[in-house]
Amino acid sequence: MRKSGWVVGLVLLSAIGVAGVPLTVAQVITIGHVAPLTGDIPKVGEEGKFALEMWVEDVNQAGGLLVGGKRYRVRVIHEDNESKAESAAAATTKLITEDKVLAIIGAYASKQAIPAGVVANRLQTPMISPWSTNPRTTKDRPWVFRAAFLDDFQGRVLAKFIKDEFQVRKVAVLYDVASDYPKGLAEFFRQGAAEVGLEVVAFESFTTKDRDFSAQLTKIKNSGAELLFTPQYYDEVPLIVKQAHQLGWTKPIVGSDSWGSPELMKLCGDDCVGSFFSTHWAVAGAKGAAKAFIERFQKRYGYVPGDVAALAWDSAHLLQQAILDCGQLTGNLAQDRKCVRDALASIKTYQGITGAMRFNEEGDPIKCAVIVRINAQHEFEFYKSACP
Amino acid sequence: MFLLTLVVTMLLTAVIGVLVERVAYRPLRDAPRASAAITGLMVGIFLETANLALLGASRKTFPTLLEDTVYRLGGVILTNVKVMIVGLALLLMWALHLLVQKTKLGMAMRAMSVDYAILPLMGVPVNTVIVLTFALGSALAGAAGVLFSMAYPVLEPYMGLLIGWKAFVAAILGGRGSIPGAVLGGFILGFIEIFVAALFVSTLRDLIAYSVVLLILTYRPYGLFGEPYSARLRL
Amino acid sequence: MTWWQRAGQRLPAWPLLAWLAGALVAAVVERAVGLHVVHALGLPTLPSMFGLSSVFAEPGLMPHTLAYLLLVYLLPAGGVAALLAPWVRRSLVRLSPRLALLVHLGVLYAVFHVWGHTDDYRLLVLRLLGIGIILTTSLNLVNGWMGEFSVSVAGFMAVGAYVSSVLTVWGFVDDDVFGPAVLPAVLAPFAFPLVLVLGGVAAALSALLVAVPSFRTRGDYLAIISLAYVFIVKSALENAEFIGGPRGFMNQPTLASLPVVFVWTLLCVATIALYVTSTYGKATSAVRDNESAAEAVTVDTRRVKVVAFLTHAFWSGIAGGLYAHVIGYINPSNFGLIKSAEVLAMLYLGGLSSVSGSVLGTVLFQLLSEVLRPLKLVKWLVIPVLLILVMVFRPRGLFGFRELRLPFVPARPYGAAGD
Repeated sequence: MRKSGWVVGLVLLSAIGVAGVPLTVAQVITIGHVAPLTGDIPKVGEEGKFALEMWVEDVNQAGGLLVGGKRYRVRVIHEDNESKAESAAAATTKLITEDKVLAIIGAYASKQAIPAGVVANRLQTPMISPWSTNPRTTKDRPWVFRAAFLDDFQGRVLAKFIKDEFQVRKVAVLYDVASDYPKGLAEFFRQGAAEVGLEVVAFESFTTKDRDFSAQLTKIKNSGAELLFTPQYYDEVPLIVKQAHQLGWTKPIVGSDSWGSPELMKLCGDDCVGSFFSTHWAVAGAKGAAKAFIERFQKRYGYVPGDVAALAWDSAHLLQQAILDCGQLTGNLAQDRKCVRDALASIKTYQGITGAMRFNEEGDPIKCAVIVRINAQHEFEFYKSACP
Repeated sequence: MFLLTLVVTMLLTAVIGVLVERVAYRPLRDAPRASAAITGLMVGIFLETANLALLGASRKTFPTLLEDTVYRLGGVILTNVKVMIVGLALLLMWALHLLVQKTKLGMAMRAMSVDYAILPLMGVPVNTVIVLTFALGSALAGAAGVLFSMAYPVLEPYMGLLIGWKAFVAAILGGRGSIPGAVLGGFILGFIEIFVAALFVSTLRDLIAYSVVLLILTYRPYGLFGEPYSARLRL
Repeated sequence: MTWWQRAGQRLPAWPLLAWLAGALVAAVVERAVGLHVVHALGLPTLPSMFGLSSVFAEPGLMPHTLAYLLLVYLLPAGGVAALLAPWVRRSLVRLSPRLALLVHLGVLYAVFHVWGHTDDYRLLVLRLLGIGIILTTSLNLVNGWMGEFSVSVAGFMAVGAYVSSVLTVWGFVDDDVFGPAVLPAVLAPFAFPLVLVLGGVAAALSALLVAVPSFRTRGDYLAIISLAYVFIVKSALENAEFIGGPRGFMNQPTLASLPVVFVWTLLCVATIALYVTSTYGKATSAVRDNESAAEAVTVDTRRVKVVAFLTHAFWSGIAGGLYAHVIGYINPSNFGLIKSAEVLAMLYLGGLSSVSGSVLGTVLFQLLSEVLRPLKLVKWLVIPVLLILVMVFRPRGLFGFRELRLPFVPARPYGAAGD
């Protein structure tokens, strides 16, 4: 009796399923977004997610993308990679094989972007990492692209800028040895410094989540360095800068694109005023599309977007460009992915809110870095532009 | 203002500590001890994620409760905040030491770590003692949180993770159940970390610091001031 | 009588092999007509992870998904199991236990093979599952049967992963770190077991750092020693420039295919199961229960400890090697305390001193972790609460100190016989 009840129930349910409103198979383009929504850097994932939400809204309000005479609505599936390599691989695989996405935007930190890239390349799905700066993310991977400039470029640009701007000879570096981005950039900066004739007199490190840098800073202060370069994230910079000032450091401090979150000034206050850093765009005095983006983002989500949001926005538009260039979507996923990849690879120049870029054969953008100065109003002010 | 913050924080964290004990530790009192470690870990993840979900991903800054003043004594640079933190920490540790060594409650706590099964037979209200221990521990952790944020005013949901592990290392290095040992253990760990960074290559800091911890525990298997386990320890 | 025994009695008493055969048929059915059923039902794609993730992603599709599960999985599997049950029951009796076990494993692998090779996501999840099982089962030896609290599993994994990666990349890949491949790539699959074993041996040797102090100390102190080991390994790898330091090491050939992972997982589970039922295993449990008493009855406690730690480290090293060759990229920060905590959670969820508990705990935890993906942030609120609930209602974990006995698997009870 009981057993037959179960069977009847299940059959009924499946009947509902079969008879249920058939899904209207709308013309939808599905894009996957792999982002660190939990773990070390939840802010990065959040900004990327918000930027893509704005993009989706734009496209769908305009009636969708017009490709080959058909209108397609756009849908983004956000997946959390928990700041873990295997989770990034699993999320990317899931998006490609289960959700059948046309392309992937993400992952962000190189630690997750490299394994995600392994998967995307093997499963032949185009992927654009907005934020990964490790040269290896795209190397020998025809299906993987990125929107940010690379660490080696940034390291050289900064060394040259420091040499020209401050007329110093001796510099110090303070970086996190356990984190790939600061470590890589510190190394490239040291090479760049050697090329332009700067002497790195102190090359000091700490470990992720350290909050006290007094030992390293004391050593730096006593080394005779005339300038401190610290390629750290915006939540560590305030502590570094404040502690340096407490220890009596009055010389200039220069940073990298990881400083470029508006939260920096909330945390750092007047201590960071007067510092310089290299980044993808300048928020203060932004014009045109960048200005509109900043204002809209701020109105909608309550804070000024950082470079992550801008790069995610540019990645989405690059992808949009590639889909439009493709001309026609066949509905055969493998073919369409190939078409989008080829279109991405053949984009010659692109004008994004983080500047004009063109792509080399590795899938890396060739674009200018912006050096910004933090002014007394706590804004990131355009100082000069440094091009390759 | 500062004292008010400190006291209110300590009270709040004490309440959370008691709640956590009730939910995640009490049901597991007769389970393998390590099971409680896992629920403790899960409570930690839950609190961190809830923080992330409620307060958002943005870093928060800690308001300045005391204006920084920098003192220079010869080559030594001190700030009033850091001096006060060290002083207050020592004061709290001394008070805790007195409590554990001289009061009846402290005696009950110590007895519990020796033989937990026999305690009720001696007329000790085990539940009350455990609740008070949790309240006390959490309140002190809350105080540490306030002091830490005053010195390093950038707040994020996972900021307690590494500090928590280090606290565990320091406490065990000193020896279980010894408060002077924990103070010394913490001091040694901090001393090694700073001095490796200051005198050697700072990239090797963790490698050297934890090798020293490993060596100390190899040659002093029960920490600096700890006593060997009693034979009938519940594991 | 516990809830699962009661639930088990409700199920028709068909032998396990019949169910496995049913599952195989269901997997074949899905492979053959799954997509047609999907289209007929109006589902967008094959339901991933038995449709469990879509419950959260698109609740509106629940009835469709249920119908799919019924049509493609339940009906064929149940039908075939019912049909085959009498025949299987008769023929199994004639087989020797060993042969019967082999038949079971063969069919089990066939199920995984057909189901897993339908798409890459399932394949990845299955392989990570195998790696998780190796880690949890081998950690159970130390934390369960020997009664210590070791957290160094991530460190052992890192050593195994790096050693085997360096060997395969040096040997079989044209790479900018080690130059052109030394050996022809054809040899790679054959050399892979050897490479894995070397990684495991390296991990085992490094485990002496933890095993030797364990002669004189235990409990919290040993836990801190094992914690220090993880930090030491991580810091050493971060300073090892030639293998990438914190930027990680990549280009591992994807040699860890599903059959490879399956075989290693099986070997590990079998080794541990045989280990803990042997006299040696009894001695290990004796050391846990009372070290002095064990010594008094001529147990060489030092040897027992070293062997247990080294076995654990060896298998964790193998798991690390497999992990590196599944993901194709490793980084020191993959192998931090968070990794250890994950393995510990799976272990205590499944229960101490129980091989089946470790396997089940891993399967439950990792599947849950995949299924709850659509919840994103909330996932890490749900998982801790679920785990706390399990621990509160079953403080020894799901199968602590006892084994799950499946119908018709020739097995003897082993380990401490529980309550």
